[in-house]
Amino acid sequence: MKKFIIIGIIVVSLSAYFAMTVFVLPEKFLGKDQFTPTPYLEAEVSSTQINLGESFRLSTISENIGDYGDIHIVSAAFPTLTKTDGIVRMVSYDFSNSPIYIESGDEIGAKYSGGLETVYAQYPSIEAMSRPIHPGTKYTMDLQITPDELGPFTVYVKSIDIPHTSSLSHFPTEGQLDHQGEYVLVYTVNVNP
Amino acid sequence: MEIRQTQFHSSLQKNSPKIFLIGSILASLGILLVTVGGSWDITNHLLNKPESFFSPPHALMYSGVAIGLIGAAISFLGYRNLQESKDVFRLPLQLKFIGIFLLVGAGPFDYVWHSNFGLDGLLSPPHFTLLGGMLFCSLGGMFGISRFLKTRELKNNFANYLLVLATLPVWLAGSGVISSLSLPFSNTDYFEFNPEPTFAFVIATVAYPFFISLICIVTAKLSNFKPGVITILGGLFLLIYGMTAIVPNFALLESVEFYSMNMIPIVMADLIVSFRKTKKVSFVAGGILGSGFYMVYYPYIMYTYNEFLLGKLVSPSMIYHTYFELMPQVIQFTIIPAVIMGVIGALVAFRFSNKILVKN
Repeated sequence: MKKFIIIGIIVVSLSAYFAMTVFVLPEKFLGKDQFTPTPYLEAEVSSTQINLGESFRLSTISENIGDYGDIHIVSAAFPTLTKTDGIVRMVSYDFSNSPIYIESGDEIGAKYSGGLETVYAQYPSIEAMSRPIHPGTKYTMDLQITPDELGPFTVYVKSIDIPHTSSLSHFPTEGQLDHQGEYVLVYTVNVNP
Repeated sequence: MEIRQTQFHSSLQKNSPKIFLIGSILASLGILLVTVGGSWDITNHLLNKPESFFSPPHALMYSGVAIGLIGAAISFLGYRNLQESKDVFRLPLQLKFIGIFLLVGAGPFDYVWHSNFGLDGLLSPPHFTLLGGMLFCSLGGMFGISRFLKTRELKNNFANYLLVLATLPVWLAGSGVISSLSLPFSNTDYFEFNPEPTFAFVIATVAYPFFISLICIVTAKLSNFKPGVITILGGLFLLIYGMTAIVPNFALLESVEFYSMNMIPIVMADLIVSFRKTKKVSFVAGGILGSGFYMVYYPYIMYTYNEFLLGKLVSPSMIYHTYFELMPQVIQFTIIPAVIMGVIGALVAFRFSNKILVKN
């Protein structure tokens, strides 16, 4: 009798285990929305007109205004430069990971694919990164830029959150595309003689 | 002065088996810390991508190495003064020495590797050295503790807790080896050490269920099928894995409910083996334990099967979606091999536990 009771307990328990873990709970979890982190970015240049030899500041404040996410990226790119050495200097930075300096010719991710699609960088950029990112967290990055040539000096700025599940996970969501096929805010400073 | 020295020496000789036991306990405890730190480190790399060798999980791991080293030294002290049963404790001591040698060497090796090649992946020469050291040292601790209990014929609750302490680090270290051979976490800028997806699929499907069953049945057999031993062992394993792999990831927190369901097959296996303490019944328990491996090794096992079945890019906050998406396919492909490997694990457990208790 005791044997049958124990067999019964075991059969019922294991049936419940497999029913719950293979059918019931997966259904419940798959029915939930995936996290959608949403970046918001404000950037400011200290001056739009400078003389050659002078510097200007690019200040960014970014925030995750969506759900919890894995990675928050802010990128500042310099399409009029071939290298950033001696021209772009990091003044302040509070992201959790060190910035990545991308040089022309480096292989980089494209079209918000998380690295599945890649292109070769046509110009240098700096990628600031924090991981993971809780909703409402803000990050700042300040760059001091001293152009070494006359004429318009352009900076592209954008922010991307990962997982990138929809257009909500990048900022801006429209406008000009950069070499990665991703939308950017464009800032131009005129460098006068 | 001379009398005092003689008294001290004779006391050392008298207590040498106990000293050896203390050394074995420390060796096992040390490896337990290393394995906990290792599992935490994987999560830390996945979530935070630390940029320095000096991180809290690394600190925990190398504290464990230090404790293991002290344990090996104390074991040696005990062994040297043993008057009898020296051959019984030779193998545990040798295993601990090999393990400690690898563990201690892995630290500077890892540091040099980090310095030259940046962050390494899960499978790398220094990490594999560390894993080998963990496995050898934990086996040394397990053999030492089990043989001490056998020679003293200790069968009380304390003995059973010691057995759990002896086998838990072996389970965690062995799981680390299987994970490093199957998870796609090993490609870096310098090296591509990721296992081939089909190979990884086979390794995970065969080795995880085999190992769960092996360790649980060995522990049960060593305790003479004492009720509750598999439950405590399995519960601690789930607790450690849950605390280091699930809880630190905010996105996975609510899936703790799912993970805790794994206590059911563990308790059932315990009930089976303690009700009928036979080999045949242990095979049934082994099959049950093996069948739940995909759930027991949640969440990271998903990456192995994803590589083979979906090939999706899965960032840490998307783990459970992809894990549950894969569930029907994985269960369909693996349930029969998992049950078979669980049964084989139980069969091997009987032979292995005899080997543990028989000298050398």
